[in-house]
Amino acid sequence: MIDEPWRGGERPTSPTSPTSMVRCDGVVQIYRARDVEVVALRDVDLVIDAGETVALLGPSGAGKSTLLWLLAGLLRPSAGRLWLDGVEVGRLDQRRLDRLRARRIGTVLQNPARNLIGYLPAAQNVAFAQRAVRRDRGRVRELLRRVGLDDAGNRPANRMSGGEQQRLALAVALANAPALLLADEPTSQLDAASGARVIELIKHAAQADGTTAVVVTHDVAVSEALSRTVTIRDGRVGSEGRRGEDLVVVGREGAVQVPPEFHHLLPPGSMARIEPLDDGIVLRRAGS
Amino acid sequence: MILRGLWERRTLSLVVLLIAVVPIACAAVGPIYTAAAATTVVRDALLAAPVDGRGWRYTTRTGGIQAKAAALTASFTAAPVYGMEVSSGDADLSRELSYTLVWQDGQCERLRPVEGRCPRAAGEVMASRASGMAVGSEVRLAALVRREPGTTELRPAPLKVVGVYGHESAGDPFWFGRSLTTPGGESGSSRIDPLFTVPQTREETAVAGAALTADPAQRGGWTDYAIVTVDAGRVLGSDLGALTALQAAADTAGRETGDIVYSRMPVTLRAMTTSSETLGVPTLLVSAQLVGLAWLLLFQTVGDLVRARGAEIALARLRGHGRARVWRFALAEPLLLLALAVPLGLAAGLLAARAMVEALLPPGIPAVFPAQAAYAGLAATAGGLMAAVVSAWRVATRPVTEEWRRTPRRSARGWVPDAVVLVVTALGLVELLAGGVISDTTGQSSSALAVPGLMALGVALLAARGLPVLARRLFGLTRRRGGLGPFLALRQVARGPVTTGSVIVLGTAFGLATFAVSAWTATSADYRRAAAFHNGAPAAITVQPVGPRAFADAVEAADPGGTAAPVIKVPGPPQLIATDPERLARVATWDPELAGGMRLAEAAAALPGPGTPRVMVSGDRFRLTARHDVPPEGWQVRLFATFRIPDRLKPAAIPLGVLRPGGGGSYAWNLPLSCRDAPCELRRVHAEFTPLDEQATIPRMEVVVTRLELRDEGRWQRVPTPRWRVDGDPGRDDGGFVVSLQNNQTLRPATYDPRPAAVVVGVGAKLVPGLDHAFATGVRAVATASAAPGLTGPGVVMDLEQADRIAYGVHEQAVYQVWTRAAGVPALERALREQGLTVVSTRYESEVAAAFVRQGPGLALVLLLISALAAASLALGRTVLALHTAAKRRGYELAALEASGAKVAALRVALLLEQLITAAAGTLAGLVAGLLAAGAALGRIPQFAEPLVTPPLSHDVAAAPVALLTGAGLLAALLCAVAVSEALLRGIRVERLRDTPA
Repeated sequence: MIDEPWRGGERPTSPTSPTSMVRCDGVVQIYRARDVEVVALRDVDLVIDAGETVALLGPSGAGKSTLLWLLAGLLRPSAGRLWLDGVEVGRLDQRRLDRLRARRIGTVLQNPARNLIGYLPAAQNVAFAQRAVRRDRGRVRELLRRVGLDDAGNRPANRMSGGEQQRLALAVALANAPALLLADEPTSQLDAASGARVIELIKHAAQADGTTAVVVTHDVAVSEALSRTVTIRDGRVGSEGRRGEDLVVVGREGAVQVPPEFHHLLPPGSMARIEPLDDGIVLRRAGS
Repeated sequence: MILRGLWERRTLSLVVLLIAVVPIACAAVGPIYTAAAATTVVRDALLAAPVDGRGWRYTTRTGGIQAKAAALTASFTAAPVYGMEVSSGDADLSRELSYTLVWQDGQCERLRPVEGRCPRAAGEVMASRASGMAVGSEVRLAALVRREPGTTELRPAPLKVVGVYGHESAGDPFWFGRSLTTPGGESGSSRIDPLFTVPQTREETAVAGAALTADPAQRGGWTDYAIVTVDAGRVLGSDLGALTALQAAADTAGRETGDIVYSRMPVTLRAMTTSSETLGVPTLLVSAQLVGLAWLLLFQTVGDLVRARGAEIALARLRGHGRARVWRFALAEPLLLLALAVPLGLAAGLLAARAMVEALLPPGIPAVFPAQAAYAGLAATAGGLMAAVVSAWRVATRPVTEEWRRTPRRSARGWVPDAVVLVVTALGLVELLAGGVISDTTGQSSSALAVPGLMALGVALLAARGLPVLARRLFGLTRRRGGLGPFLALRQVARGPVTTGSVIVLGTAFGLATFAVSAWTATSADYRRAAAFHNGAPAAITVQPVGPRAFADAVEAADPGGTAAPVIKVPGPPQLIATDPERLARVATWDPELAGGMRLAEAAAALPGPGTPRVMVSGDRFRLTARHDVPPEGWQVRLFATFRIPDRLKPAAIPLGVLRPGGGGSYAWNLPLSCRDAPCELRRVHAEFTPLDEQATIPRMEVVVTRLELRDEGRWQRVPTPRWRVDGDPGRDDGGFVVSLQNNQTLRPATYDPRPAAVVVGVGAKLVPGLDHAFATGVRAVATASAAPGLTGPGVVMDLEQADRIAYGVHEQAVYQVWTRAAGVPALERALREQGLTVVSTRYESEVAAAFVRQGPGLALVLLLISALAAASLALGRTVLALHTAAKRRGYELAALEASGAKVAALRVALLLEQLITAAAGTLAGLVAGLLAAGAALGRIPQFAEPLVTPPLSHDVAAAPVALLTGAGLLAALLCAVAVSEALLRGIRVERLRDTPA
């Protein structure tokens, strides 16, 4: 029997469809850095269905990693509501949140080495992640085989190559068969072949286990390999891409972010006229 | 996994283990060393006590002595020595002699037979040589009777003398202070030295008038006794309570039974308790300060270890580990290290304490491991435990994402703990400064005694606050000039967290070490100075008392024209040092600054008095002719002449006769036997009233001595009449004096200065007791000093010749010493022995200083010095480690700087400067704190078990050792900084930039 994270208390209700793994509803994230308040995310609305593979794109500092940490349950939204696997994060106490993270979420951090305890061999690293739930040596072997590290033996993680470490990090993230896999720049320090292998592993997890994957990346190969892209700009969801088509997202209060590739036509700070159409509007630079 | 983790962080783990072990060891050393020191104190007090102050003599006339003595035995007492005795007069009542018949277990091993043997059978006795009894003679005691064979009549039992023993020393603990023989080897006029027999004598005789029981051992009339002595080789400081309980048992036995328990143990116990109290509080405070410092060190270091695992702990939280599991994970390594450190630390503490005990305390003092040592070790560990818990709590509760942020958020350090420390320090300082010298060492002023440690911490806290501020100010300058190295170094120092912790730890440890070194140098100098004055000269040879003139002559003969000075010390107050001034000036300790600029030679030259010839007589009979008033009716007036007898300490008064009613006449009496062989000196003439009629009126009469005569070999010779002086009537010199019940006058030959010259220390107008401690006289100060040789309190230094002329005899507690230089003491001892003096002991001033070190405050200071230096070394190591760890965390930044064109030399300068600034700031803050604490505390914190009266002490801190400590600290910091910088620079690789910043 799977112990549900909300067990023992009222199950937080979800307004999402039964198939949504993630729902952000006006999520705002603010943190203080050196006496300055920084708004990392503002009014983020986002729904990710179970089994989706999503690439989070955007420039550095846009808020991708912050969103990922929110999805990992490492941060709580400053405002707005966040549902993970149908559970509202804000209503979970720390113990239940830890349990949710242990059972339902697997996370791959940006630096492969950070995901691992360097002095432990591969199997013990995976087992370390299982400690919070249930030891399953069979799954450890299976995962290591899947990531190609079944012959890693007792070699400690800090003696592995970057590619091996990243694959091992993925195996660690998948140790408890999470419903949600989060990965932050999983290919940024890998060569193309290693990166491709990691992408394949993520896709395989989604296909084989039905795992929802959210991957922060700058890597076009990654974004192209995943089923959906979400671009974060200035802390907002600026656009989404599905099946090769990029769409801007009309945010709360009707805000729309003009993609950078159109800035030469409608530069930031310029004035625009709105011309209504039957199925939408057209923005035209004022004075043209 | 834990072991793998420890191995992964082996350097840090090893350092944590070391830093945990050393404070635990330091904390444990305190109680172990204190216990050993307490043992030293107790044993020293025991050895310094007279024989009857080292145990009890239980005397009973009701039997059962063994059971009674058992109540006074303990693990630290020697086996009781049993004995029995009976006193009686001679069976021939006309002889007016009294005897004591004694048996004491083991007597034959102690008595030194000069003739015959020790008694073996009933009725055999051994007599003293002074008794004049010959081997083979018989003696009968009136009270010791036996039934004559065939009759029912009880008659005095014959005791056969089978041996003769010589002069036995009362100093032999076996006799428990019993003076077997009269001083000088002469039996008293009526009391004969003990006769020693065997227990069978008791069985075969009876004591007249006592119950005659079947059991000879219970037979009445005899007194049974047991001597129980404390074994100085076995007694420990921890036995003081048991010793006190034994004394209480002895008191109870004395009160509740008819038995007598004689002992001067209470005096010894008081000395032990006083010294122990002076030991307990300072060492407890030293230990407490060290434990506090250990906490600080452990808090920082264990915190480093936990923080070093921050990434792993964050990973555990990322993986959803529960709070308990995260805690367990976070605490496992530090707790394992601390658990390992406890036994290692305690063992190291025991070894260190043993080494200290062997090096600093007298031989034979055991270093036992008291329970307090374990508690102290655990208390020190508690600091590490608390640090582990606090650090783990911080790491386990702060947002996980903080671990991966590029710019970690700073948390401001609160002012509350600092304010608490500063307020407590200020209160302690005020108490210390306002209270003056702390004479109470029993703990009531403990907060003031803790001031040095608190000041070190307080100054360190302020320095830790001030350094980043200063660095930020200087940071602006380095932006414009000075290059990249200083710029980076100051920026890092200004950032703060590592700097703050390091400066606090280093400042506190070096503050305490500086104070310890300062206090040690000042106190050592004070000890040396006090020892030099108290000993009087570099070496003081104590000899058995003889007559003062014979003593001075013997010293002169042993060291003709040399530097040996004969000294007779009479305990005060006020104290008296009687000596040969000329010789004193050559050898004694003196400081003109303490005597108004007068040199010792000048002062000594003014001491001798008039050399008026003494009235010496040698013969067999002395006659005095006087005219006097008619003795008042109803009174008898007896005239006495008092003589000073060579080699005798006490004067001898002979009765010249009862004044006759005729208004004058001659009065004569035999001189003491010794005066036939050597001249005796007439010291005084006086008369005493004896009432014949209770109704008689208060008498008063005048006597005028007109003639003195001496009979030698049958012929009378006139003794030149001296100039007389009358005590109580200084102006009269005609030989007349008043005899009265009130203000009875004494006629004395005027051979001395009635107000003798003296070097005076704090006496003022008080009268000074003379050599005999019975004759009080005023003195004429030729020098008023605040310290003089041989004086430990108010007193005077006088000419021995004058002191001898003034006094009638020599006080029994007077100590005879020969002061000399440290070189050539053995030769002088030999020479003194050749002159007939008995050398008892020799004490060098270095030994006196060492004895001061063995007192409570001195022992505590040694402990503080050693432990504080160890802690300072650790603090320095911990600082370098913390800086190394911090710099290693900045490896990415350094790699980036190198990649962007910063030269390695600039990075080297940056790392070196950062470490040096921090280490120097901590060291200098410690230096300032230590010197401030020394200035405030020295002179107020007790240095001696008993408050020192003289000499005044300067408490001067020697600059060289303090400078050496600071220099060594800075040099070590520099070397460590160089090594650490080079190690870090080797680790900087541009490839590191492939990683994201940690």
